[in-house]
Amino acid sequence: MSTEPEWLEPTSLEEALALKAERGEAVTVVAGGTFVGILVNQRLLAPEAFLSLQRVAGLDYMRANGELRLGALVTHRTVELSPLVRERWPALAHAFSLVASPRVRNQATVGGVLADADHASDPPAMLLALGARAVARSVRVEREIPIEELIVGFYETTLEPDELLVEVRVPGGPHRATYRKFRSRSHEGRPAVGVAVCRRNGELRVVVGAVAGRPQWFPQLCDPVADPAEIGRAYAEAIEAISDVSGSAEYRRRVVAVEVRRALEELR
Amino acid sequence: MDPRVTGAVRYAEEVDLPGQLYARVVRSPYPHARILGVDVSALPDGCVALVPDDVRDLQPYGVQVQDQTVLALDRALYAGDAVAAVAAPTPRAAEEAAALVDVRYEELPAVLDVLEAVREGAPLVHETHALATGGAAYFGLRPQQGTNVCHRFRVRHGDADAGFAEADAVVEETYRVAGAQHVAMEPNACVARWEGGRLEVWTGTQTLFNLREELARIFGLPLERVRVVSPPMGGSFGAKTFLRTEAIAAALSRKAERPVKLVLPRSEAWLTLNRHPAVVRVRLGARADGTLVAADIDCYADTGAYADSGPGVAQKMGFAAPGPYRIPNVRVDACCVYTTLPPNGAYRGYGQMQSTWARERTLDLLADRLGLDPLDLRLRNLLRDGDMYCTGETMRDVHFAECLESAAAAVGWREGRRGKGLAVMLKGMQTPSRAAIAVEAGGDDGFTIYCATAEMGQGAWRTISLLAAELLGVDVSSIRFAIPDTDTAPYDTRTTSSRSTYMMGRALEAAVRDLRESGGRRGFGEIVNEGGLDPDTGRGIASTHWHQGAAAAEVRVDEETGKVEVVRLHTSVYAGRVVNRPAAELQNEGSMIVGLGTALFEEVVIADGAVVNANLSDYSVPSFADLPGRLTQELLERGGAEIHGLGETAVPPVPAAIGNAVASLGIPVTGLPLTPERVLEAAERRVESPA
Repeated sequence: MSTEPEWLEPTSLEEALALKAERGEAVTVVAGGTFVGILVNQRLLAPEAFLSLQRVAGLDYMRANGELRLGALVTHRTVELSPLVRERWPALAHAFSLVASPRVRNQATVGGVLADADHASDPPAMLLALGARAVARSVRVEREIPIEELIVGFYETTLEPDELLVEVRVPGGPHRATYRKFRSRSHEGRPAVGVAVCRRNGELRVVVGAVAGRPQWFPQLCDPVADPAEIGRAYAEAIEAISDVSGSAEYRRRVVAVEVRRALEELR
Repeated sequence: MDPRVTGAVRYAEEVDLPGQLYARVVRSPYPHARILGVDVSALPDGCVALVPDDVRDLQPYGVQVQDQTVLALDRALYAGDAVAAVAAPTPRAAEEAAALVDVRYEELPAVLDVLEAVREGAPLVHETHALATGGAAYFGLRPQQGTNVCHRFRVRHGDADAGFAEADAVVEETYRVAGAQHVAMEPNACVARWEGGRLEVWTGTQTLFNLREELARIFGLPLERVRVVSPPMGGSFGAKTFLRTEAIAAALSRKAERPVKLVLPRSEAWLTLNRHPAVVRVRLGARADGTLVAADIDCYADTGAYADSGPGVAQKMGFAAPGPYRIPNVRVDACCVYTTLPPNGAYRGYGQMQSTWARERTLDLLADRLGLDPLDLRLRNLLRDGDMYCTGETMRDVHFAECLESAAAAVGWREGRRGKGLAVMLKGMQTPSRAAIAVEAGGDDGFTIYCATAEMGQGAWRTISLLAAELLGVDVSSIRFAIPDTDTAPYDTRTTSSRSTYMMGRALEAAVRDLRESGGRRGFGEIVNEGGLDPDTGRGIASTHWHQGAAAAEVRVDEETGKVEVVRLHTSVYAGRVVNRPAAELQNEGSMIVGLGTALFEEVVIADGAVVNANLSDYSVPSFADLPGRLTQELLERGGAEIHGLGETAVPPVPAAIGNAVASLGIPVTGLPLTPERVLEAAERRVESPA
């Protein structure tokens, strides 16, 4: 008979970091639990211990001094509804508003959606396009990791075994951005293709999420003065795509061409 | 207040018996495999295991073909087939114990597609077909021995070849419809116990008496030694028909000498019963003015590894396939075919959605070919009172044209039909069919109703209580509805095919009359509807009561991605007389939402022989955000008319109306659901082969 998994419930970040340093990859971190819960229920995950952050105080802050700083436990719903985010980072609020249903968004967290590195989610592509960085902390050190270096594959990040993702930093200042979510089935479904685009200081970032293991950004294809349709075609050709219940790889490439073009046209 | 609103209701899943153990099923991971051995030696104390050798002496079951055993004995026939089960003191201990059962398999060739399964030389899922004899084997079965076809039903009306010879235009197309899962909010749930050699089962079921018959047969008991009680269900839509998990719970309980409860985890719903995937080929012939002269239709219903009610589904798919039209020459062949996929059975619409999809799409192809308005083409041919259907029966109380015209008007059909689609259909009710009910006067002016009509969220108990109150001249609050129990309720065919209000309503009239005339405390009423079809010619009485409905849809299609948005959806259903208006309207709206899910999203996806989307993240049902901006429905009533069942009527025409709306934009879709990828493929077929 297997034993009950341990449920570790620290009340301070220091305590949580100490536990993470001690137990490393043997513990599964739980924030909102919307993703981990599914994996456990489907028996894809059976860790010996869970490290819950739900009682850790002081990780649900939202601050903006030039850049936006979101504590790891800020929920999707908080980002979506925040007047501050809506005014200064409207595309970010929009991307979070498109995740699943309000029931899920009330629970899912900003830290969780990045640390899970679930390919079929919306916020990572948008955060990458906005030039966001994650802050990882351990008992040893605190470091910033650009999103493009954080998520490296299906459910895979560059977080060290003793690190916790504690904050997300989104650059401020004038920018124009948008997020387009393409669902092949229900409105509450996960994206088949997600396209995030941001123009800032004459630079362009186009990021495509949900079509393979990590959000894909091709800086060499992001010529800020190129024709949107041309960039769309170039992305469709360059992109790595998977086939699953949301659509075949070939179909996803076609949608990438269309949705990248449309996202760029929205910013004209 | 309604106990479902206050939370006072106790659903099937909430029935607990003292000392009960919790069961879990061990399932084959292979679509077809020989079972070499089942080792339960790793199970801890306190667990009881059920292995093939424990059930080898029990009788096989199956309501139409006796093709299933309590556990797979020598071969597992689909990925998900039950090969063992365990019972343990807690649900969690049962889950862990199930993982400790070690089954050794040898893989065998699988057959995963209905057209492959009917090909000569296909691996046989069952070597022989043993026919059932009970209450659900109500028609002549025509198994094709030595093939995977467990029932072949035919309609032969007029001379199809001669009909096509005089046609000015002939169109033909082949359609595919995916399998779907019912997704009832409450999963299949039962608890079984043995009391003094008597088996008692509490289970969410639409078919108490059929289930009692099956359990009695399996365990070799007389009927009166089996009791089935059906508490209210949190939804069913066909998922809780006939025998599902009850025999496993009963066999475990017999071995454990304790009550055993079995609640299916959500993911196992997809491994227990789904809707038939189907292939339907339709050929229609008409004169230049649009008069239909011939129809030639093949239906292949994929029933999976066990027939369940598949033969009945295939038969209804077949006899409803020509649709509510006067067609003098009709040939239909409908086959129920085994594959090594999870079993398929009853699902709201019962086969008639699949053939309605194919026929109504083909009618639009014909209209296009003849240069006619699809509405005019249909109106020219729709059955009217006194017309003969292809079964030879004379149609009465016919309202197809009214339903269709009302639906067409709702979308402004005559003001322009681009992006719009129509569909009309007829659906049979269980025939032959028997219903009985007892009304008992209690003390203090109250009455108790004993009847086997199951409550699954459709509001049947409320509706029958309202009828009783009206007939007895009392307030509905003085009517009590006893929980259906084979020990106390009189025999009823089953709560399916939208028959309960119509059949029980008439039985109730007789029961109230009996109560009054006898002057006693108890009145009894029974209604028997005779009928049935010859399986080789389709002659006879298909349905003593026809469900009639039409749908209209308006869509927008993103032609670059193939994404379909339904902006307007309307159904018009013939209700005759409405008894419980809120429930009737909710039935219609619910049916439309089921139809929308079928049209756009729902699909049991198989890869490597196994279901890969058995969860509600990867299997999409419509959310409220997916509903059309305008979703409306109409119940057509006629003074003095009899009650018409309407629990399913609005399901079958909805996908076809949406498909025809997409096709009106020049995208000839043939496969359901209309995923963006399929729509784009269809748009390309048009480009590749200009008409």
